[in-house]
Amino acid sequence: MILNETPIRTSKNYGINNIDIDDFSIPEIQETFEELNISGDVDEFTIKKEKNKIDLKYGNGEVLLKQIKNYSNVNFHIIVEGKKNKELQLEFDLTNKNQNLVDNILIEARENSNGIIIIKYLSSKNDKCYHNGLIKVLAQKKSNLNIIFVNMLNNKTENFTSIENILENDSKVKYNIIDFGGKNSITNYYTNLKGENSSNEVKTIYLGTSEQTLDLNYIVEVYGKNSIINMDVKGAIKDKSKKHFKGTIDFKKGSKKSKGNENEFCTILSDRAKSISLPMLLCTEEDVEGNHGTASRKT
Amino acid sequence: MKTKLDEINRNVYNIKNKDDYEYKIKKGLTPEIIKEISKQKNDPEWMKEFRLKALETYNKLEMPTWGPDLSMLNMDEIATYVRPKSKMTGNWDDVPEDIKNTFDKLGIPEAEKKSLAGVGAQYDSEVVYHSMKNELISQGVIYTDMETAVREYPDIVKAHFMKCVPLTDHKFVALHGAVWSGGSFVYVPKGIKVEIPLQSYFRLNSPESGQFEHTLIIVDEGASLHFIEGCSAPKYNKVNLHAGCVELYVKDNAYLRYSTIENWSKNMLNLNTKRAIVGKNAKIDWVSGSFGSKISMLYPMSILNGEGARTEYTGISFAGKGQNLDTGFKVIHNNKNTSSLINSKSISKNGGTATYRALVRINEVAKGSKCNVNCESLMLDDISRSDTIPVNDIKTDDVEFSHEAKIGKISDKSIFYLMSRGLSEEDAKGMIVRGFADPISKELPIEYAAEMNNLINLELERKYRIKKGMSK
Amino acid sequence: MSLLEIKDLYVNVEEKEILKGIDLKINKGEVHVIMGPNGSGKSTTANAILNNPAYKKIKGSILFDGADITNLKTDEIARKGIFMSFQLPEEIPGITVSNFLRFAKNKITGKPIKIFEFKNELKKHMEELGIKPEYSERYLNVGFSGGEKKKNEILQLLTLNPKLAILDETDSGLDVDSVNIVSKGIEMFKNKENAILIITHNTKILHALKVDYVHVLVNGKIVKTGTGSLAQEIEETGYKSFK
Repeated sequence: MILNETPIRTSKNYGINNIDIDDFSIPEIQETFEELNISGDVDEFTIKKEKNKIDLKYGNGEVLLKQIKNYSNVNFHIIVEGKKNKELQLEFDLTNKNQNLVDNILIEARENSNGIIIIKYLSSKNDKCYHNGLIKVLAQKKSNLNIIFVNMLNNKTENFTSIENILENDSKVKYNIIDFGGKNSITNYYTNLKGENSSNEVKTIYLGTSEQTLDLNYIVEVYGKNSIINMDVKGAIKDKSKKHFKGTIDFKKGSKKSKGNENEFCTILSDRAKSISLPMLLCTEEDVEGNHGTASRKT
Repeated sequence: MKTKLDEINRNVYNIKNKDDYEYKIKKGLTPEIIKEISKQKNDPEWMKEFRLKALETYNKLEMPTWGPDLSMLNMDEIATYVRPKSKMTGNWDDVPEDIKNTFDKLGIPEAEKKSLAGVGAQYDSEVVYHSMKNELISQGVIYTDMETAVREYPDIVKAHFMKCVPLTDHKFVALHGAVWSGGSFVYVPKGIKVEIPLQSYFRLNSPESGQFEHTLIIVDEGASLHFIEGCSAPKYNKVNLHAGCVELYVKDNAYLRYSTIENWSKNMLNLNTKRAIVGKNAKIDWVSGSFGSKISMLYPMSILNGEGARTEYTGISFAGKGQNLDTGFKVIHNNKNTSSLINSKSISKNGGTATYRALVRINEVAKGSKCNVNCESLMLDDISRSDTIPVNDIKTDDVEFSHEAKIGKISDKSIFYLMSRGLSEEDAKGMIVRGFADPISKELPIEYAAEMNNLINLELERKYRIKKGMSK
Repeated sequence: MSLLEIKDLYVNVEEKEILKGIDLKINKGEVHVIMGPNGSGKSTTANAILNNPAYKKIKGSILFDGADITNLKTDEIARKGIFMSFQLPEEIPGITVSNFLRFAKNKITGKPIKIFEFKNELKKHMEELGIKPEYSERYLNVGFSGGEKKKNEILQLLTLNPKLAILDETDSGLDVDSVNIVSKGIEMFKNKENAILIITHNTKILHALKVDYVHVLVNGKIVKTGTGSLAQEIEETGYKSFK
């Protein structure tokens, strides 16, 4: 199964245009998923259990998106309203009882709202599980959303995440991603800075251990004037783990005065660990500032 | 300092001689055509076999699935071999008048007198002139055309020819192997330091044809050399193809500097392959200025095989209207304590696309290696495009690797500062762009730095003329 | 006729109103100082005179030597004889101080200048300002320290010899010795035929110079104009009384 294609291809020999997951079959999904804990200021948010439409520009490939469409066993439409600065936490525990999670979460931050949403995936028992999830964020004008995404799944579990954010004028979406788990942990992250003065910040920490493969494909398209993207990805890999980081900032026509920063730092802790990175800057607009930096170093 | 744009004359590059050849092969690519080229060139048997094998490889390989769109290239429309009406000579006076005039206007014989230790000049598919100072000949330095090398040094050629760049590398390398013609061969014996540069100049005059020169340079242990390559062509309406191949062997403790100023005409597809294998404590420096061509796919590569081997790459590309310059650098760290320093700049304007596409690979064995990449792109307007696509593949923990890239426009503050000193906006921008290119000009011999500045001025002039025209 | 006359000038920066009706007259032979707290519009005034495109004139006009220069391009204004010493001079790689100044001088005077003459004059000014000779062959401001950049601005002032010198925070970030050298340079420049407009938020540099007028700029308006003693007053009491 080929996933996480980069928006622009480069030589096939470099092995980074996409990731090919072999030795993998799509599992059967139970109809319900029960080990789900919702906490925090639950009453301050509107939470509807409804299936959301799947219309992504990128996402984790047709097969997995189809699975979400047809077989999702957790569906939320979360509405954030008002400047209340409240916090909502969703915690999913994948165990033998609830082996497979396919979740479809839509977060809608209404005009002038703010809030914090924490989404955690764990596997408290050491069972082989499966996660295929979608988080879609619609940030309306002047909304301000902080999302904390935690992946603490075990190293036997396949983990696929598709994230898409669409930002209107003057909105801000900030992500903190803690990406620790999964046998193959494949994240497709896409932000559309559609509105003027919109801002997306994503800070990721990853850790690769044993024979894990982490494939992070972060794509940010800047359309709105005066917008900001800050991408900061740091992590360590040890044992025989592999990390592929593909970060793209794409300044589209009209994104005047926008700024983009992309930083990646990888600490390699073992001789057999492998790090590939492809930090892309694409630009069709003159009046922008784009920077990226990548570094790898021994501790 | 050159500041007046009207001092520069683009016409020198555009001298179009009559397509007056001694022999031009039929267009297209078949085993018969390859055999005919081989016959015309008097190849030894092994070379004929090599060409045919290369054609087979060519037919098997796919077109690249990435990079610029090459669909306008139709090999059935390209004549791969054009022999000029001239025999190779060591005396400019023996070169036919129209060909000599072209090289005169490009300043080649003059540069030879002033600042070079040797010169080679290729016109279409064959080298028409080759000469080197006597003292280098007496030191055992060999500098000749590739055909002579195949005849006179078959063992060295066989041991190195398309070993650094194998036929299977990509489709256009295979094509090159099948139809190659011309190019230079250099051998610098152990310990010999060639202090003054050698230069080969490649000129493609014939329309709807290709140039496929092969450059093979061996700098033996402890020796050193500076080699300069220049290229240009007049502009035609139909596509011309350049698929040269440069193979460089820098043996232990040796040093090679390889400088290129490329100014192909804007109907040229420049699909060139350049690669160096670098020995223990040896070093190769690449200096590269890309100004011409419609499409370039050019990624010089250093393979650091010896312990402590080093490389530096300093490159600039300037993409204007209708141009897609996809360039960059590749380095493979294959031994302990190897190091690479990469400094790339690009300028895009007037609808041009400049792409920096690169690979840094640090293999498991390359402990204690260092790599530093710095990449800057300047956008001169909002109808152009600039992309940075660098792959960093790190397979060892004991490494210091860093990569920085910047994209942006000329700073308004800098323009204001210069204008406040009485400079017009055009002068101010020109000054800033030349400053941007300065780290590359500095690496070139002074005449070539001046040529590069001229090319930058020409490109800028074209932009502003168009801009002014629009505002009327 | 005044050398410079600013009439009822309103200027916006990024849609924000910074100058709210400035009037100012400077005659030949005079030294003027604009003082004011941070953000009061001092640098905006300087940039507006040179018509920096980032500063939008909403209303008002600027006359120089009797001609309207309000909407002239920056280089045209410079060629009329206005010079500005920058608070943060830009680094321009690829051109040496010497080549740059010769080029600029040709542009300003409109005629080619003899190289020998130019080199001698440059050398003389560099000595006077205590700038090491090798700096003339270094790229313009590249790798210069803050103080070196400011001295280099004064070197440009002396070389280009304008009718009006605007010195924007020329004293900020300088040690005592540098302040003295810069003051000396300004003193050398000054004569009966030219004028100086100094923009500053402190009074360090003013001790060494004879100042004719001090204008206090607060919140985009000149709230008080006085003689040199006004600067001293501000040194003691600050801007509080003007707000």
